[in-house]
Amino acid sequence: MANEKTIWEKLQAIDRRVLYTLLMVIATVSLFFKVNVPTKPGQPTKDLYRLLVDDEALPEGSTVILQSDWTQSTRGESAGQMEALLRILMRRNIKFALLSVADPQAPLVARNVIRAINLERKAKNQREYQVWEDYVNLGYFPNAEGTSNAIAANFKTAVAGRKETPPGSATPLDVFQSPVLSKVSKVEDVPVYINVTGSKTSNILIERLGGRVPFAALVTGVMGPETLNYYQSGQVKGVAIGLNGVAEMESLMEKGLVETGKPEVKSFAGETNYGRGMAYYLALHTCLVLMIVAVVVGNVAMVAARKKK
Amino acid sequence: MIPWLAQAPAAPALNMWNAPAGTPEIWMKVGIAMLAGFGLLAALIAAPTRLRRPISGAFIFLAGLFWVLVFLFPKPIDSQTPHEQRPRGFVQDVSFWLADAIPVVSNFSNILTAFILGLGVFSLVRIHLMRVAKKQNDWPFSVVLLVSMVAMATFGYWDWKTRLDLGGAKVDEAWPLAAYGKDLLFDGMLQVMEAAMFSLIAFFILSAAYRAFRIRSVEATILLCAALIAMLNLMGAVVVTWDGMIESFGKDNAFVMNFTLSSVAGFIRDNLQTPGIRAIDFGIGLGALAMGLRLWLSLERVGGN
Repeated sequence: MANEKTIWEKLQAIDRRVLYTLLMVIATVSLFFKVNVPTKPGQPTKDLYRLLVDDEALPEGSTVILQSDWTQSTRGESAGQMEALLRILMRRNIKFALLSVADPQAPLVARNVIRAINLERKAKNQREYQVWEDYVNLGYFPNAEGTSNAIAANFKTAVAGRKETPPGSATPLDVFQSPVLSKVSKVEDVPVYINVTGSKTSNILIERLGGRVPFAALVTGVMGPETLNYYQSGQVKGVAIGLNGVAEMESLMEKGLVETGKPEVKSFAGETNYGRGMAYYLALHTCLVLMIVAVVVGNVAMVAARKKK
Repeated sequence: MIPWLAQAPAAPALNMWNAPAGTPEIWMKVGIAMLAGFGLLAALIAAPTRLRRPISGAFIFLAGLFWVLVFLFPKPIDSQTPHEQRPRGFVQDVSFWLADAIPVVSNFSNILTAFILGLGVFSLVRIHLMRVAKKQNDWPFSVVLLVSMVAMATFGYWDWKTRLDLGGAKVDEAWPLAAYGKDLLFDGMLQVMEAAMFSLIAFFILSAAYRAFRIRSVEATILLCAALIAMLNLMGAVVVTWDGMIESFGKDNAFVMNFTLSSVAGFIRDNLQTPGIRAIDFGIGLGALAMGLRLWLSLERVGGN
């Protein structure tokens, strides 16, 4: 049997269906276990948390612009980021103006997350965030570059004409009459501009906002390395990258942040802090272990086969 | 300066291109814009072929010129300075005019992009209707697409209108058929399918990593090691365990602390990965600039020309 493959040759060419099945089983099974996996937050996530929770950087009750540019295709990462962000904003009574430039579905997806977090708060007898009073939805703008330029030049005219219906009213009113945007006319009037994105809209914003306002980004793992360029240059004040970033954010929300030479940032211990990030974090671990094992097996088999020859 | 691109300085922020929603004025302007648009399109179609390129080139140049000026011209310190308090002079006037015009021109581009979306929908419907009418290959899939599209648009619009009439909170409480239909189609089907489609990438990544990450050369070995460290650094449990172990050897020893996983991964990220991406981005930027210049100045060669 001269043509029969050795074990090493077989291990170098594992059928892709075997790998797919293993991945499917491992990812699925991991999701059934609720484990708080330990994390060691990186500096970009720590800076983001400080920016969002520190009262000096973002005073309680102030207004931020929240640009939500993700849909369900990046739900694994972006939904957890959005949830963690909204939990922080709502706990600190931060008002927000929501807009999207990346995808027509994005505003609806964002509204669904707001509704989910509101239900969570309702179940805990906490105040629900109200449209008009606490947030306004500016909607979808189909041209990312043009809209970002307009926002940088003149926020008020860039979103002019957008309306929202106050609760208990049948007439939509101009969003600038709402408590959310009544004191905002230019982008410099908000303490932080936040972008949750599954694409490169954060880059487009950074290039056009040009340091007019502290900018924070919550991006997918794919966009992370590119966004770190702007973090290193100081154009982005804090970044949460991918699912790892969500788990780190949730961990910081639970434990708070203590850094040498900087004031301590409070935690939200006792609240619902661990959410989608920690729910998926074990699956991330097991899937990465599978990938590492697969790569190691392939290489060991290759070296062993060569030695045998 | 020409006032027709400037936004009114005070609320309501209107200019000659817009008007309050629902008024006869806005409908008249929409009508005039539609007529002008169709007229321009007809004129372009009627124009001799050799004239079309210079005409479209002139439009492209004008559109690009605005943004080039915005980028290169000195900017006003505060574009929202009231008109009567603005400094006077040619440079100041131009810079304020440009700043005032940005939202208006951006709205033009937003509207154009929205038209492109509409054009996409029109094209999709036309192609699939023809496929169904002629019973071409896989025409039942075209029927599914068209039915899905109409159903999604109908329920989406119905839900939007109901929320507008009743208010979002009341709709969430009463949960009428419109909300149920939208929820089933959008959240229950489209969103889930989209997430499922994207998650397929994980399977391909695993298979590709298994086959491609082989230590066949020095470069491949370096790449593999860097990738392994990056992957390990994504696993909080591994980082905490490894770093804790290193710290137990010598927390006060700066040299030993270099071997924590977060330090090694941080070194690779900050000194190798990010500068590499920066260099690539810089190259892409230069390429985009060259391509942009060629498009702006109509230097791109057209096929057969």
